[in-house]
Amino acid sequence: MNDFLMFLQDVIPSLLKGTVITLEIAGVSLLLGVVVGLPVGLGRVYGPTWLKRVLGIYTTFFQGTPLLIQLFFVYYGLPAAGITFDRFTAAFLTLGLNSGAYQAEYLRGALQSVSEGQMTAARAIGMSKWQAIRAIILPQALRLVLPAWSNEAISMLKYTAVVYLIAVPDLMGQAKILSSKYFAPIQIYLIVAVFYLVLVGITYFVLRAVEKRAGIPGLTYSPEHGGA
Amino acid sequence: MTNSEAAKTQPIVRLEDIYKAFGVTEVLKGVSLSLMPQEVVVLVGPSGTGKSTLLRCVNLLSRPDKGRIWLEELEITAPGVNEDKVRQRVGMVFQEFNLFTHLTALENVMIGMTKVLKMDKRAAHAKALEELERVGLANRADHYPAQLSGGQKQRVAIARALGMDPHVMLFDEPTSALDPELTGEVLAVMQKLAFEGMTMMVVSHEMGFAREVADRVVFMEGGYIVEAGPPEQMFDHPQVDRTRVSQ
Repeated sequence: MNDFLMFLQDVIPSLLKGTVITLEIAGVSLLLGVVVGLPVGLGRVYGPTWLKRVLGIYTTFFQGTPLLIQLFFVYYGLPAAGITFDRFTAAFLTLGLNSGAYQAEYLRGALQSVSEGQMTAARAIGMSKWQAIRAIILPQALRLVLPAWSNEAISMLKYTAVVYLIAVPDLMGQAKILSSKYFAPIQIYLIVAVFYLVLVGITYFVLRAVEKRAGIPGLTYSPEHGGA
Repeated sequence: MTNSEAAKTQPIVRLEDIYKAFGVTEVLKGVSLSLMPQEVVVLVGPSGTGKSTLLRCVNLLSRPDKGRIWLEELEITAPGVNEDKVRQRVGMVFQEFNLFTHLTALENVMIGMTKVLKMDKRAAHAKALEELERVGLANRADHYPAQLSGGQKQRVAIARALGMDPHVMLFDEPTSALDPELTGEVLAVMQKLAFEGMTMMVVSHEMGFAREVADRVVFMEGGYIVEAGPPEQMFDHPQVDRTRVSQ
């Protein structure tokens, strides 16, 4: 037992460093995913036909191919075309664009689930289509998309693990280094699994709290089931 | 005739020879109708005869294929007319209420004032409360639509439309989605509006309301106006057989 504690004492500083990098990559990628996913989702629902098609190709590409291939393509493939990124930029870009595709699809579903009468009523009081989207449709869709978005955030925390394959020293990268250093892969990977579990757990509870705070009776929960 | 007299006799809404088809189904086949200031016109007739479509043409939610529509002095079917500006002057109440789900009753009434009319928040808040008062729901201002009964929802929807100071109000079967015991409160609000001098065009199956409140009842069938006249004539001495049968 004492040995194990000593061992923990040795590995934890590296793992914490890795955790910071994992959180950084997940955070930046999710944010980039929002920045990309929001307009793409809107364009997929309200854009002209040609735009819907173009955006459809983007989402299909990122949803239809393995994340690892996307990462290798960006990091190893694009330099052949004269476009070179450092490891971190490649990681942010790949995960961000990948998440953007998923977030766009979640948002599309949420936008389409807002009843048509909402748009009709908004237009009837003189709102333009974009005013109606901004003031009426989007505030509802963003609340409806929160549960799916929470899943995306949780998945992202774990997807970031692929970046160790382009030698980014994230939590997984540190695990790889430590497991060779100590010849103790089982112990190391179990400890790392606990790290991921804690990160996911915290994220889950934070986002659940956000969901509850943003909840509206009749929209995100049935009014009969009491307040949020 | 002086100018002020001309203004009085100018119709609020004038529909001239309106045609509308959805695919191969012709819904309106040449309908003409005028609404004078403060007039209440109730459109009656079997379902699917174009009453709602005609109503939706007045605020351009539906665009006629042929024919012209004037809102006061403005021909709204003319090319280049700003639809959003037209709709600010025409209030509409829907069968399914269509209250904004994520907003409280008060916010539902306010949002058009702040976003469309660009009123400042405080003035809009005060006016929205007045409109809710007008439909007897000031005490429900902070309730979300899901926390209101059907009749209350429809009264908030009426307040939302009134908040824009419309020149005419359109009602598209406003009580058809309500339980019978809730229709009374909505009809009472509409009757009050009519007495206050609001110009109203109402699609309804409520014959009692038509008889009591309408200045003119218009019977539609198959995309045409079959007969129109004051309620006493329409209900007691219909000129056209079909009008008689429908009672």
